[in-house]
Amino acid sequence: MNEKKSAISLKNVRVTYRSGIPLTRATSEYTPLKDVSFELYEGDSLGVIGRNGAGKSTLLRLLNGIIKPDGGKVINHGHKTALLSLTVGYDQNLTGRQNAVISGMMMGLEKQHIVSKLNEINEFAELGEFFDQPVKNYSTGMKQRLGFGVAIHLKPDILLIDEILAVGDSRFKKKSETVMKEKITSGDTVVLVSHSPATVKRLCNKALWIEDGIVAKYGESAEVVEAYEKSQS
Amino acid sequence: MIFLKKHHRDIVFYKALCNLRSEASKTYLSFLWWIIEPVFSMAIYYFIFGVVFKRGTDDFIPFLLVGLVVWQWFAQCISHCSAAINQNQALISQVNFPKIVLPSINMVMDTFKFSIVFALLLIVLWIMGYPPTLTYAYLPLILGMQFILNYACGLIASALIPFVPDLSNLIPHLLRLGMYSSGILYSVSSLPEKIQDVLAYNPMVWIIQSYRDVLMYNQGPNTSHLTSYLIAVVALYALARLLLNKLNPIFARALMQR
Repeated sequence: MNEKKSAISLKNVRVTYRSGIPLTRATSEYTPLKDVSFELYEGDSLGVIGRNGAGKSTLLRLLNGIIKPDGGKVINHGHKTALLSLTVGYDQNLTGRQNAVISGMMMGLEKQHIVSKLNEINEFAELGEFFDQPVKNYSTGMKQRLGFGVAIHLKPDILLIDEILAVGDSRFKKKSETVMKEKITSGDTVVLVSHSPATVKRLCNKALWIEDGIVAKYGESAEVVEAYEKSQS
Repeated sequence: MIFLKKHHRDIVFYKALCNLRSEASKTYLSFLWWIIEPVFSMAIYYFIFGVVFKRGTDDFIPFLLVGLVVWQWFAQCISHCSAAINQNQALISQVNFPKIVLPSINMVMDTFKFSIVFALLLIVLWIMGYPPTLTYAYLPLILGMQFILNYACGLIASALIPFVPDLSNLIPHLLRLGMYSSGILYSVSSLPEKIQDVLAYNPMVWIIQSYRDVLMYNQGPNTSHLTSYLIAVVALYALARLLLNKLNPIFARALMQR
């Protein structure tokens, strides 16, 4: 029935964080993901829901390849991924312009490409003259707007989004939400982590519900969200 | 820089340039500090060892200058590179990229600053009566070797510190020890044979001696020594790259779990 190609497969994935100095016995252990298996298909927009600390962000890190699982396998079938985070390690001493170029390159854009988009980024982020000032002078909202301005130019095979559909004041929120929605529903492969089941239902065709480190339900977003909401009430 | 993908090289050079500009913009004397700082430290060493302890021979000033300038390049690279991965937890836990980029940025910055000081050194030597000679042809080779050595040591330090944080306390002491055992303030050839044999394992001893031979004594380095040190340095660099490649996927974990 499903002739879609698999983009990333997770097989019995387990992630355990241990705290303390590496190489010594762990002072405490914490296993956000115990046994997670699912297939992410090309062209799907997958919403990930679950309670706080259910391991949603850890899942994105796995998909991006930032961390490797302690058990099981994450198989990426040759797709470039980008994890969208709004303040990708900004250097406080550098200007918004410089940070935009660096974070764009870090997330996989060619230098020429990001440099040619700088005006657009500033226009979108509405930073005006602040664009050429050090980021340490920015408010939180300005930093997020800059991050958003860079993010909309990313063109990875798989976009991983961690809860940042809307930032800033209500006007900017509207603008950013529109752009993000366009990106998510454009037919690209997207994984969206969200606290809001309603958002997932609206924007994603598939949903994954993680509970206690395992997959509670995976399937059509409407069904999964309904089951999740029932369990919460 | 050496065998790095173009995209990552672009990041390294762009970030290094931005950092240098921001560093310069933070003080009144801006980039002049890149010259003033080494001049100050040289003046202090000269005062203590040349004036107070009267260790100096006639050519003590150029002797000291050559040793200090190139040693500072080594020491700065190691101490800056070593912190590079450890200090960027936020970035590493959010973006997947080859971590070699981080120490490479410091490497470019320190090498840029060194190149200014080194150019000044050549001018000062000329003024003091050591004009350029044909043996200067060896300079690119020796500089290149030291670059690879600095880079390799910096990479190894940066790769190990996230896993063995204690090393970062040790590095300043190791560097100080290195400084006193590299024949910067004295000539290694004036030491007893036994100690000389031990110091031969310190590649900086040979490198500093070669700089002096070329810059002051119009003498090329011994070819067989040159070959063996060159092989050793390249091997060390290969080892460093291998180490970083192997550890690359687990840095994020090591830093997040701290």
